[in-house]
Amino acid sequence: MFRDTTFNDLGRTDALAGVSAEFVMDEESFRGFYERNARGLWAYLARVTGDREQADDLLQETFYRFLRAASTYESESHRRNSLYRIATNLAHDARRQSLVRAPVISAGDDIENVSTGDQAGATERSADVTRALSSLKPRERAMLWLAYAEGASHDEIAGALGIRVTSLKPMLFRARRKLAALLGRKPEGGKS
Amino acid sequence: MKPVECEFEAEVLGTVLQSRWPDRVDAQLRAHVASCPICSEVASVAGAFDGSLEALRASAQVPDASRVWWQAQLRARREAVAAAGRPITAVQLVAFACAVGLLGACFGATSTWFQAALKRFALNAASFDVAAFLTAVSTLFVEHGALALGLVAVVFLVPTAVYVALVRD
Repeated sequence: MFRDTTFNDLGRTDALAGVSAEFVMDEESFRGFYERNARGLWAYLARVTGDREQADDLLQETFYRFLRAASTYESESHRRNSLYRIATNLAHDARRQSLVRAPVISAGDDIENVSTGDQAGATERSADVTRALSSLKPRERAMLWLAYAEGASHDEIAGALGIRVTSLKPMLFRARRKLAALLGRKPEGGKS
Repeated sequence: MKPVECEFEAEVLGTVLQSRWPDRVDAQLRAHVASCPICSEVASVAGAFDGSLEALRASAQVPDASRVWWQAQLRARREAVAAAGRPITAVQLVAFACAVGLLGACFGATSTWFQAALKRFALNAASFDVAAFLTAVSTLFVEHGALALGLVAVVFLVPTAVYVALVRD
């Protein structure tokens, strides 16, 4: 994980200047890719882990591992899938390491606690979603979020979660049914 | 077997993701959603997520891209330096262990008192007698105290030094 940069780190920068770090893209490309994906990825991690701080850590770790991956990407979509795959694996690992802190998401968790004023309604809806999601398995949360918040295709979700597309469909169906029941099945939802 | 997909599912999801659901979609699709349990669930879940996603995105405080890039560079370089240093450390450790082993072998082969002590020890070991063992040890310390202490120190100090070096790495 990243930690805060210290003066010692700054001192070491010169010593490390001659050492090359191979990344999958240059800084300019990374900036664009990061700007397009960071917030969405953070939201995904916050939803899957149920923990803002963990989402912060995992976000940076995800981008670092993405940069260090010895892969070539054919398209933006391919890059994005790879990014979410890394994030999913990291969230899975983090969950295994902190199983003693179960439940991962509790109804009282406040991953959306910073919005105020006009956002109060959205915050309340978001809290409802948090409560409902807390009853689902982490993999169910991940697949539902990718499918219905990110609008990812079945291929993309299967790629990100490391499962077969044929297995995904019934799993997604069951998870969606479960969540819809928990949400009280209100099809008038959305930003109406 | 119950169907798990509906042909209008993607269309319903699209309207929610584009924030058109439910007001800015045609009545036919709304009627279908009302009667189709799959599309109804899709609209429910995607609608709930849509509001949640907005709230989460708004509250996300992601670090600046430049900072992430710079920290990644720093970390990658640090790891590269550590990786480059690791084989040297391993080679050094092996060389040190070989040197100690060689020194011990030379010492054992050339030292008559050590061989005599070993023989005494072997004889005592056959019918192990604590008193005789303690006598042998005390004799070793009395006759060659400095050397024995040096050996004991090496036995304890070398593993400690190796441990400290590895922990620091």
